[in-house]
This record gives sequence, C-alpha cells and structure tokens, in this order.
Amino acid sequence: MAQPQAAAKQQSAVNDDDQDEKAPDTKLYEELGELARFIDTTMKTLSEFSAPVNASTEQLPQAQTHLLNLKTQTEQGTHRVMLEVEAIQDNHAQISKMLKEMTQTLQQAKVSPALIQQMHTVGQTLGQDDKRLLDIMTALSFQDLVAQSVNKLVTILDEVEHKLLQLVVVFGPYQKQAAKTDQGKASEMLKQLEATKNTSMDQDLADEILKQFGFN
Amino acid sequence: MPADPNMKILVVDDMSTMRRIVKNILKQLGFNNLEEAENGQEALTKLKADTYGFVVSDWNMPVMMGIDMLRAIRADEKLKKIPVLMVTAEAQKENLMEAVQAGVSNYVVKPFTAETMQEKINKIFK
Repeated sequence: MAQPQAAAKQQSAVNDDDQDEKAPDTKLYEELGELARFIDTTMKTLSEFSAPVNASTEQLPQAQTHLLNLKTQTEQGTHRVMLEVEAIQDNHAQISKMLKEMTQTLQQAKVSPALIQQMHTVGQTLGQDDKRLLDIMTALSFQDLVAQSVNKLVTILDEVEHKLLQLVVVFGPYQKQAAKTDQGKASEMLKQLEATKNTSMDQDLADEILKQFGFN
Repeated sequence: MPADPNMKILVVDDMSTMRRIVKNILKQLGFNNLEEAENGQEALTKLKADTYGFVVSDWNMPVMMGIDMLRAIRADEKLKKIPVLMVTAEAQKENLMEAVQAGVSNYVVKPFTAETMQEKINKIFK
C-alpha cells in the first residue's frame, strides 16, 4: 500500500520539476517575443523617415549642381569686370605716356607754367584713378573666397547625401509603400532655379517680343 | 637684393580670377614677365623646365597643395633659393607656422590689398 503512495509522490515531484523547467523557457520566449515586437515597431517607425530621406537624397545632387553653377556665374561675371578694368588701365597708361610727352614738348616751348601745372594735375588725377582701378581688381578677389566656400559646401552635401543613402538602404525594405511625400520648400526652390535656367530670356529676345506688342 | 623687373614670375592658383588679379598687381608694380599654373604639380613642372625668380602661390589647390609645392621647391637643389610668397585664405596661426617651417618667404592673407602685396614683395627683395 505504501509503495503506490510513494510512487505517486515521486511522480508528482517529477511533474513539479518539469513545470519548473518549463517556466523559465516560457518566460524567455515571452521576453524574446517582446523584444522582437519592439525591434519591429522601431524599424517601422524609422522606416517612416525613409520617404523624406529619399526625397532629400534626390534634391541634394540638384542643390550641388546649382552651387557649382553659382561658382561659374560669379567667375564669369568677375572676368567681365576685370576685362573692363584692364581696358581702362591700358587707356590710362597710354594717356599718361601722351601726357608726359606733351608736358615735355610744352616745357621745351616754354609755355605758361600754369599750363604745365595743369598737365601735372591731370597726370596726378590719372594716378589716383589707377589706384582705384587696382582697388577694384583686388576687391574682386571676393569671388575666390566665394568659390572656396562653395567647394566646401558641395563636399559637405556630398557627404550628407552618402550618409542619407546608407540610411535608405538599411531601412528601405521596411517601407510598405513608397508614398510621394510633400517635399516642401526645398523642392519648390529647386524647381524655380531649374525654371530660371531653362526659360530665362536675354534682352534682345525680350525687346523683340515687346516690339510685337507695340513697345518702341 | 632689389627685385629684377625682368625676372620671370610664376603665379599659382586654381582660380583663374585670382591668377588674373595677382598678375594685374604685379604688372602695375612693373613686372611683366609672368607665367601661370593651376596647381602645385603644374607649377613644379614649369619651375624645373625654366628659370624663375619668384613664385606667388595659393595654399588650397587640387592635385598638389601650395604647401606641398613649397616643400618640394625647398627640397630641390635647383629651385630651393626661389622666393615664394603664399597668398591664401588660410588664416589660422597653424597654417602660418606650417608655411614658415616649410620655408615660405612671406605670407599674405586673402582678401588683400595691392599695397599689402607690394609691401611683402618689397620685404622679400629688399
């Protein structure tokens, strides 16, 4: 009689042990399940940024192109101004030379000293203008500083673009739908810049059109 | 030794506008024998191929920076005595120290005036 009771007790003890072993497993699975749900929620939340990040990576190369165009435009404009300044400098050099020759001739002809003095004054005024022309030339060095800043900006944008692309690659697959998001002011600005490039007309064409409307 | 107005001068800068400005100033100072280079490497090639009395160079350039060109000039037996004036936007103390250690003859910070450049050239060639 005692034996079946002992066996039953033993069996009960074995069952209890089994349950104790299962409990940690269940707890572990529950925790793993929670962790998996947390990771999934986080990835989905991060993937919501994928569309705007994608939009930005498309805009960045355009922005870089416009910056480089800006550099070229300032360079061309600066060269135009320099061309005119150099032409004036050359004229001044010729005028100065002629002035010296005329002054010598007049001195030899023993004309009024007041006239000689006037010639000197004209020469001095030319000299002052020459200094101003040189100051204009050196002031144009702003373009070099602009170009250097633009180069740095382009490099920064390039780096930002690469990092954003890495994000898109990592979180892209979690995006359920590639929705067209509102691309905001940046996109609008870029469109305007593109429009200026493609449709802006020169003065000759504007004058032609105005003529057709009766503007003389 | 005063500057020889006929000496050949090399103007080194990657920006064409800057090269034009420096050349214009040098012309106004009476120097008309002027050559250009867009980077340090091109400059070294020209310096080795001909005789130059003076180099005016930028710091930041593609292919070879001005500071590396300067070091190469000072390391070359034929070129080491050529005066080198750096004209650069690099206005940090460390840049100046680096240029001095590399053997620069003088240093002009952009933006600059024609008077400043003239003053530095006069100091180099006094």
